[in-house]
Amino acid sequence: MSVTVEERGRPNTQDYRVFFKNSEGKYISPFHDIPIYANEAENIFHAVVEVPRWTNAKMEIATKDPLNPLKQDMKKGNLRYVANVFPHKGYIWNYGAIPQTWEDPNHKDSDTGCCGDNDPIDICDIGNKVCSRGEIIKVKVLGTLALIDEGETDWKVIVINTEDPEAADFNDINDVRRLKPGYLEETVDWFKRYKVPDGKPENQFAFNSEFKDRDFAIETIKSTHEFWKALISKSSNAGELNCMNTSVSDSPFCCSAGDAEAVVKSACAFGAEDPIPSSVDQWFYYEK
Amino acid sequence: MMSPLLLRTPLLLLRSPLGCLATVFGSFSASRNKLVTQAAAVPSPVYSRKTMHYQTEERGHPHCPDYRIYFKTTDGKYISPFHDIALKAETEQDNDVPAKKSKKNESEVLFNMVVEVPRWTNAKMEIATKEPLNPIKQDVKKGKLRYVANIFPHKGYIWNYGALPQTWEDPNHTDGETKCCGDNDPIDVCEIGTQVCFPGQVIQVKVLGILAMIDEGEMDWKVIAINAKDPDAKNLNSIEDVRKSRPGHLEATVDWFRKYKVPDGKPENQFGFKGQFKDKDFAVEIIMSTHEHWRALVQKQTPSGGIECKNISCRESPFKCSTDEAREVVESAPAYDGTHPVSPHVDTKWHFV
Repeated sequence: MSVTVEERGRPNTQDYRVFFKNSEGKYISPFHDIPIYANEAENIFHAVVEVPRWTNAKMEIATKDPLNPLKQDMKKGNLRYVANVFPHKGYIWNYGAIPQTWEDPNHKDSDTGCCGDNDPIDICDIGNKVCSRGEIIKVKVLGTLALIDEGETDWKVIVINTEDPEAADFNDINDVRRLKPGYLEETVDWFKRYKVPDGKPENQFAFNSEFKDRDFAIETIKSTHEFWKALISKSSNAGELNCMNTSVSDSPFCCSAGDAEAVVKSACAFGAEDPIPSSVDQWFYYEK
Repeated sequence: MMSPLLLRTPLLLLRSPLGCLATVFGSFSASRNKLVTQAAAVPSPVYSRKTMHYQTEERGHPHCPDYRIYFKTTDGKYISPFHDIALKAETEQDNDVPAKKSKKNESEVLFNMVVEVPRWTNAKMEIATKEPLNPIKQDVKKGKLRYVANIFPHKGYIWNYGALPQTWEDPNHTDGETKCCGDNDPIDVCEIGTQVCFPGQVIQVKVLGILAMIDEGEMDWKVIAINAKDPDAKNLNSIEDVRKSRPGHLEATVDWFRKYKVPDGKPENQFGFKGQFKDKDFAVEIIMSTHEHWRALVQKQTPSGGIECKNISCRESPFKCSTDEAREVVESAPAYDGTHPVSPHVDTKWHFV
């Protein structure tokens, strides 16, 4: 499946968007139109990279906008850049989401005791390549962390890009522990503290901050896929989510290529990027 | 004959019918110039500071082996960042202020620092000690441009990294504590301020402490300092202050230096004083002794062992040359050309050592 991106607006501004096109040049939604599976039999999933490793701009699939392009999150009227919490620089994995999944806010998870965060399920890709924004990669699932972010269930699935030269050595969460010692601990540390510079408290986790294994993670992903199917078929209440898609033919939200094109055409023309504010370079220090 | 400075034409942004962007770069000038120093803006009513202003001039192709950053004064005289930039930043006391009004009896000693590697980057940029006028260039190892490895959890360098001018770790001098000889380079600095600097930037720093690293068997002191303009600078006066305000950074610094060459197949580095940081006074002593070694070097009292000592300002230096000779050095370097950008081949692998 060969997806390309089309950038609109200017990077590091409020107008910046990353739209997606399939191999025929037809505009698609990265939330609804990219198949969850690259290989269902082998449990290889697709992932949409939102934030390349070591960068700070908080890019997200715009779940409430038609065709769900990537856009930069805003907080208190400003573009959001995630803080550097020492020793980390930006995000410490390629960060993104699995398409065709949804953490249903009307569903209370029995493990975390919290409702879903209304977003596709998040992934952290531990491969060595720094991916680009909007890149679609194929991933092997290794395990998952149960973050409770501001009171909502927010699974963080640990994956590895199948194209990583070492991918064959990674098959379960213990392989990460063995081959990249410290990475899982730093992952917990990152999620625990990443909002503290913004004045938020440390985050909590279910399961005593332990990682669940590959099989558990795959079950979790599959259940969020079921929630998504209910969403896209209008069996669940979408709330403010935009379910416009061009490929889920039995979805009441399915639209024509022409409708999709009209959405993209109404976006700003692509232009040169704005510089990132130097305040984003600040390193925040806390006692562990 | 001076080559004329051509202005770069602005980037042209072309809109194709699809509303997408194509970029065309304008013509290039023979060199690319940047102003690199500002007066240290310490807003003190008591002391004023006079700081030299420097500019850099890029030559060759960025991310290629011929890339160089030369230095010059604002009146266009080419200089060596190794020999012609003063070690101590100039200070002038305001003579109208009665001495008893000031809290500090003496002016704060600030040093000039030449930034080589910006924080969080990997390209190993260095003052070229063996090239005339000692421009900054990227180190080459085994025929390839050198990029420092990413040692988990670190990304590139974890401070702005550079050197103090007019200092030299003499390879003929054996350090009493470590029994190692100097590494034949100016003394290195790790600057812990918030701002990410650029290669060739000259800043004024407060010295806070020093680490005695032994890199591949050679003495390789690492001065810990902070940019005098950093908002935190006034609160940091000792290595202990750094430990309190930046918990983990000193430990990470030792960890970084211990491991950074392991991915290249080298062993872990060792340290003097059991890896403990020595305080500011000790650091200043070491700096001043490397300053004396440097003075002996430029005055030809010590064998230079391949070091290029050409300079335009050093008293009693047989290596002092005219500004015309200095200009000839720079003009013989390849013209700057940034029109066909080469992507740097940075290895993004995160090494778990």
